[in-house]
Amino acid sequence: MKSAASLFAASILASSAADYLREEIPLPPGEVMEIGSIALMPEDRVAVATRRGDIWIVEGAHGQDLNQVRWKKFARNLHEPLGMFWQEGSLWVTQRPEVTRITDTDADGLADRFETICAEWQIKGDYHEYAFGSTPDKEGNIWVVLCLTGSFTSECPWRGWCVRVTPKGEMIPTCPGIRSPGGIGFNPQGDCFYTDNQGVWNGSSSLKWLKPGSFQGNPTGNRWHELAKLPKPPEPADKSRMVTERERFPDLMPPAVIFPHGKVGQSPTAVIADESDGRFGPFTGQMLVGEQTHSQVQRVCLEKVNGLYQGAVFHFLDGFQAGIVPMRLAADGTLFIGGTNRGWASRGSKPFTFERVRWNGTTPFEIHTMSATKAGFDLTFTAPVDPASAANPASYSMDAWTYIYQSEYGSPEVDQAKPVIRKATVSGDGRRVSLEIDGRVRGHVHHLAAPGIKSTTGTALVHAEAWYTLNEIPR
Amino acid sequence: MRVPLLWAFLLCPPLTAQDGAQLYGLYCGACHGADGNGATGGQFPPLAGSPWVAGDEERAIRIVLHGLHGPVNVKGRTYNLEMPPQGAMLPDDQIAAILTHVRSSWGNASPAVAPAKVATIRAAQQQRKTPWTAEELLRDFPLPLEKSALSQLISRSYEWSKPEMPDFSTLQALNTEEEHDGLLDAADAPRKEHFAMTWEGTFTAPQEGSYEFLLDADDGAALHLDGKKLVEITGIGPANGGRSKIGKIDLKAGSIPFRAEYYEFTGQEAVSAAWRLKGQKGWNWLSREHMGARPDLEPIPIEPENGRAVIYRNFITGTTPRAIGVGFPSGINLAYSADHLAPEILWTGPFLDGTGKWLERGTNPSPPAGDRVVKCSSSPALPAGTRFRGYELDPAGNPTFISTLGQQIIRDHFEASGGTLTRRISLNSGAPVRVVISDAFAWELTNDQTGKLGPLELHIEGAGTLSQGKPFTLDLTPGTVTLTYRWK
Ligand code: HEC
Repeated sequence: MKSAASLFAASILASSAADYLREEIPLPPGEVMEIGSIALMPEDRVAVATRRGDIWIVEGAHGQDLNQVRWKKFARNLHEPLGMFWQEGSLWVTQRPEVTRITDTDADGLADRFETICAEWQIKGDYHEYAFGSTPDKEGNIWVVLCLTGSFTSECPWRGWCVRVTPKGEMIPTCPGIRSPGGIGFNPQGDCFYTDNQGVWNGSSSLKWLKPGSFQGNPTGNRWHELAKLPKPPEPADKSRMVTERERFPDLMPPAVIFPHGKVGQSPTAVIADESDGRFGPFTGQMLVGEQTHSQVQRVCLEKVNGLYQGAVFHFLDGFQAGIVPMRLAADGTLFIGGTNRGWASRGSKPFTFERVRWNGTTPFEIHTMSATKAGFDLTFTAPVDPASAANPASYSMDAWTYIYQSEYGSPEVDQAKPVIRKATVSGDGRRVSLEIDGRVRGHVHHLAAPGIKSTTGTALVHAEAWYTLNEIPR
Repeated sequence: MRVPLLWAFLLCPPLTAQDGAQLYGLYCGACHGADGNGATGGQFPPLAGSPWVAGDEERAIRIVLHGLHGPVNVKGRTYNLEMPPQGAMLPDDQIAAILTHVRSSWGNASPAVAPAKVATIRAAQQQRKTPWTAEELLRDFPLPLEKSALSQLISRSYEWSKPEMPDFSTLQALNTEEEHDGLLDAADAPRKEHFAMTWEGTFTAPQEGSYEFLLDADDGAALHLDGKKLVEITGIGPANGGRSKIGKIDLKAGSIPFRAEYYEFTGQEAVSAAWRLKGQKGWNWLSREHMGARPDLEPIPIEPENGRAVIYRNFITGTTPRAIGVGFPSGINLAYSADHLAPEILWTGPFLDGTGKWLERGTNPSPPAGDRVVKCSSSPALPAGTRFRGYELDPAGNPTFISTLGQQIIRDHFEASGGTLTRRISLNSGAPVRVVISDAFAWELTNDQTGKLGPLELHIEGAGTLSQGKPFTLDLTPGTVTLTYRWK
């Protein structure tokens, strides 16, 4: 085994919650470790797969002393794996051409059996034919989102679709309308979500709910429905609005949470749920989303309103060393992130990185949830708020906008609105504020700023902004 | 508070250069770097000192509106990436503010950009749907000239009709001119074909150090420094980087005599020269045309490790997209197509070079890196309905590819030693299965079980029926057939 370089960096995340410690995990010296997949393994081992296709297994990445980590190469040169998990003695890998089960049958530490489970989707040799695979769902299916050819066209079957791969290797086309995904995962209820990047038919990047049979908004790959005798997906009108087209096409799924371009991020990636039961801080049940360009992790709280998911995104963790692609949150509350910025630049300036983040046990003062009500929004906080500041409507401001739903690349923010916060009511325990608001707009992103809020101990919010996508107003 | 309330100032025009700095940070900085030097240690092109943002503002406005893709040379370095269009997202006044900031920061010194100018260009380019290429933009907006390190440059043109460098002492100049811009240019000759040129002047080295000189020409050229020939391109051919050469020399600070020689046979004409200090990224040009710079890519040899064969999955030029490369320690290689279920390309020597697929966005081709490449087949090798099931590696890393046809299992094993590739293909049970060994060559039997398969020698043993002619097929019956390939 190679023993890793002895120097590593640890830092309290710069402009994010000081209660989270970010540490770089030493990598095998001399190796190009552009991490695209992470899998948690038994006995606190962790597997990573690089974009060049090597799989490495590390011991000690959960340990106190990261100088003790030991790396071993398990397999070489797979085809850009972007999704990997461990199940019953094998690593299951979604690589560009297929889903593969990889096993070390003679226990010498090297993979020797590579079983092609499903290779039913096509590739033609384009650099952008990314395939992001999930962990298994409750039935054991792997969900795979297939990027468009070059992110603009769909030149061979199932580009621009989400498909499910059953344990037997059958492929079930599940949702058309994908553009350029960055990651895929489940919420604690087991519903599947993926991130799609700003571009054609995506005014801004977003987190989307892959409800089977729904149309995710980009019609470029629609025609493959004929191959599986599925109903014809919607052909939305160009230069419209998502709310308008939803009236025409009930299957059109609006983004659950839009990440306004530039303000929240530029390229969302990994999607994971915090199911660490409080070991990663107060956000159990919420979603974490990676951000490649800004080298950040955002936090998302979701709720279902009138049958659709929607919710708010908050800035959360910051200062990673490269562009984040995969993430995994272990049961002990260790968040592993892998990063690369080859071909797509990032604020973190290292070419690749492997890092972990752990919570120090002190609760950061944050907006915990933001949820839509009939009258406005309810905010909950991780600690009681100072009622004087929190009950004053002037402590808050809100603006709202939407995007043009169009075949052009991205969209400006349009149809600006200025909802007015009439009243703020603080609950008895100081943890909830109910805002009464005039002028919310269905379908708009609602940007809340609450810089004036203080906790009862006088601390300011670590992140005083939230962006809530109001697909539906509760009835 | 992390992010200022951006909308607050976005709603109150006009935007200032200071707003441009914030917008730049929000919308451009991630790729071009907060300091304008290109993000991630210069993997992305710089805007600081970039001639692309200087001079006529329309060039940069067009890039921001519609994006840029394909090769682009910035400060002597070639990038081949993709910039997404920003025009559908950013309004005119924001683009103007950003470019005003870019054009006046980090040493850049070009005038401000007016929102009205952005609006005009947006309207004029309404039909444009795809990103620009550098070539298209340069046609309309040539880059402002950089200062040359050559001075007192005199060009002479001669009549010359052979595809080789003349002995200039025997020729009479048609034309002699002073080149005040200090730049070589084949267009300065009074002819378009059958001519030769020389340039003589002074090269000023800014400091002591190791220097590299780049030369490219259509057709031939040579550079002489201090009376000695440093680098030369002979014969005939295009100036597209494929024939460019680099010469190295240690120089002291100061001026030394410089001489360039050049000849043009027929067709296109061009000469291009540049210099840099060793270790500097990019080139300083000594010519009006900027050609011959190749991306500074060190090869990434993909090789067997620890005496085991190496398996490589990625796109391999010459076979189908589901390609699986196998490189054996003995220097024999193959590319197996998991679409066609066959070893389609065989070759010897180096296996593959990772620069095609493992750098930047992986858009470059990735052909076999070695030699004696043989393309055996390029169509499905097993009956319709056969499914690829993966592969197993033996302790030496040799692969067995596995396919199934109903209940039948076809195992295709490869290993190599010395100069031979051994393939054992087996069937577990059932009716014979037809395997295409080659659709490019017939097997010409020379003696007992050995024959020629194109440039290869192929020996076959085992249970099965072989076809005559093309395609060359094997009807595999339960059992094993061994095929031994040898390069003649
Ligand atoms: C997602 C990354 C990205 C973003 C965001 C981006 N660029 Fe670029 N830009 C690039 C790349 C990559 C190239 C080179 C494209 C190629 O290789 O053809 C480029 C090229 C350029 C060039 C010409 C080459 C040079 O270096 O001078 C200019 C000018 C430019 N960009 C300006 C901008 C401005 C201004 C913005 C913000 C409004 C911006 N870019 C945003 C990635 C980006």
